[in-house]
Amino acid sequence: MDDLFRPETDWNGLPDVAVTAHRISSLVANVVLWAIIGGAVWLFTNPLALPTGIVAVVGVAWTLWRVVRAGRWIRSFRYSEREHDLLISHGLWFKNLTAIPYGRMLSVEVTTGPISRLWGLAEVQLITASHESNGTIPALTAADAAILRDRLIAVGEAQALPL
Amino acid sequence: MTDPVDDPDARGDEGRTPPFPEGEVPPVPADEVAPVPADQVPALAEDVPAATEKLTERPHPLTPLIRGWIVILALAFGLGRELLNSVTEDRPLPPIAFLVGGFGVVVLIAVVIGFLSWLTTRFVIDADELRLESGILLRRSQRVAFDKVASIDVLQPLAARIFGLAELEIDIGSASRTKLRYLSRARAYSLRDYLLSRAHGHQAEIGEVATSLIELSDLQQDDEVLLRLSPQRIVLGAVTSNEFIVLVATILVTIGVVAAAFAWLPPEFTGGDRRTGFLGVSVAVIAIAVSGLSGVVGFVTRRITGQFNFTLSRRPSGLRISRGLTSLTSQSVPPRRIQAVQLTQSVLWRRPGWYRVEIDVLGQHLRNEDDTRASTSSVLLPIAHLEEVRMVLAQLWPDADFTTVGLRPAPFRARWLHPITAPFLGFGHDEQLVVSRHGWLERRWQLVPHARVQSVRISQGPVSRRLGLANLAFHTAGSRLHARARGLDATHVRQWQAELIELAQAHRPDITVPVIRPGQSGEPSGTVPVGSAGTHADGPDAFRADQADDTISSTE
Repeated sequence: MDDLFRPETDWNGLPDVAVTAHRISSLVANVVLWAIIGGAVWLFTNPLALPTGIVAVVGVAWTLWRVVRAGRWIRSFRYSEREHDLLISHGLWFKNLTAIPYGRMLSVEVTTGPISRLWGLAEVQLITASHESNGTIPALTAADAAILRDRLIAVGEAQALPL
Repeated sequence: MTDPVDDPDARGDEGRTPPFPEGEVPPVPADEVAPVPADQVPALAEDVPAATEKLTERPHPLTPLIRGWIVILALAFGLGRELLNSVTEDRPLPPIAFLVGGFGVVVLIAVVIGFLSWLTTRFVIDADELRLESGILLRRSQRVAFDKVASIDVLQPLAARIFGLAELEIDIGSASRTKLRYLSRARAYSLRDYLLSRAHGHQAEIGEVATSLIELSDLQQDDEVLLRLSPQRIVLGAVTSNEFIVLVATILVTIGVVAAAFAWLPPEFTGGDRRTGFLGVSVAVIAIAVSGLSGVVGFVTRRITGQFNFTLSRRPSGLRISRGLTSLTSQSVPPRRIQAVQLTQSVLWRRPGWYRVEIDVLGQHLRNEDDTRASTSSVLLPIAHLEEVRMVLAQLWPDADFTTVGLRPAPFRARWLHPITAPFLGFGHDEQLVVSRHGWLERRWQLVPHARVQSVRISQGPVSRRLGLANLAFHTAGSRLHARARGLDATHVRQWQAELIELAQAHRPDITVPVIRPGQSGEPSGTVPVGSAGTHADGPDAFRADQADDTISSTE
């Protein structure tokens, strides 16, 4: 059934550095999260070592799992600019294929965070009137992101429809 | 966000209000942004040179009394309870002079504060500006740009209604709404109409609106009543609704569980021997029954007072709902901003064929239900027959008819994933609408016009992948109804997605009631769309201008 989410068109993946960047940011987020949880557990069950130990083991296992998955998730991500719409396909267990007509596009945002900036990556987000659309391409090289943004804006204007 | 002082437009443009950032109320009247030296800015706005000839208005003189009324009521209630306690507990009563004196002092303070606040509240609504001055110690002056007015409500709480007064609430899209209370009802209506027409960018005069003192509905001459619900139907709808059934069932189950626990558990757990145990059961059951009953009565009463005399009428600017027993609420329904419609049908409504219609409106955070205070509600029709639903929806979307959309049932294997709801799942679309059907005890139909679809997503989890199923979600700009279809045959789902996207691209958002200008009223507008779907007769500019009108709504 895999081809349900990969119809025949020109698919673009994300650059390879995105895998590393995504792994690092996933690692950082998880380490912070589990440090907070572990700290809280240690505070409340101070003399006992067991609960903190369990949290530590679970935390390390979960973090490792997320870091491994982060790479696969990024590799599973594809987008395609078709004639009238943008297709975004991602997900491992829960797969998604979103089609956003260019005519419904309100704006395109390029954002970059402190970690992805280290690798010169940026996130491109297609904004429609619906907050459910979630037309986000999480990591592109900054130059590609700018080009994609300009191209999307150009097609969007050409096919514009009022809201 | 630009600082208005640095904005060259604002500087050169003395008479007009510079657009201030949304969500912020300018701390000073915006005309002071124009080069008026800071030391000349006076404390009271009546002394502003430009405003001296202006006609400033105060709210209605009865305002302090009505606002004091609430204080008096609360006080009387508290005092009464205290007195009652004293009598029953055999405590000596405090001297009566002391009581009356204390009561009098508090009421006096409330009235004086109310009076001062009335005295210091002034407003100007004329051709140039909309400005409000208020505050006793902290003076506040607020000037609102006419074209920033997003919606205007006229509210009539009970106390104000008795005196024929109303409160004007102006929503400019910021967090807090600007309130003007209280005005005479006629004045409130005429100001509302004036502000609305100014918000639409028209020049207008403040007209006179004739209103009778007590009104149960808010109708104007060019209004055409589409549907009015009788009290019997509202009561019937309330006691057969799913909420009512669930409420009653919860109470019965709770009573049953408590009784069973007492009956079966050994006496040690329930304390004492069988006899006291039995007493305990009765007390507990009666207590639950009483509180449950009050809940049920409260629910029905809220429904009745909130939806009493529910009237849906057609106005030149769209549809209008007016309803309410203790406080009259009316609300306009801007057809162009409706993103999706949901029909629901409770278990007991299947036989009589009743439906409830809810709408999802762009930018309105609709409080659900029938809260009497809520000026906006998501309920378009609380209870209606299929024919009435069709008639009303035809007013919103003249070209669309949901009853003719063929729905494909979910494949049989969907029962593995959706064991209860699968037999009722359905999905289909025609040239105008996407319809998806869900539910078990409460059946739901979600209708989304292609013109409102922003994007379409296919999703599939691990189990549906095994079964060859997938889900479709149609994203709209609304925030309440998340329209989606579940349990679809995965082999066709991508074709449907492509069709929906193509239709969404092809549709301009024009399947709504066109705006009739006052001159051409009386023409049945529902059947004449501005331009039927897909035709590109009007230029894009004409279209946008037309739309700007409808992004402003008024509720009342």
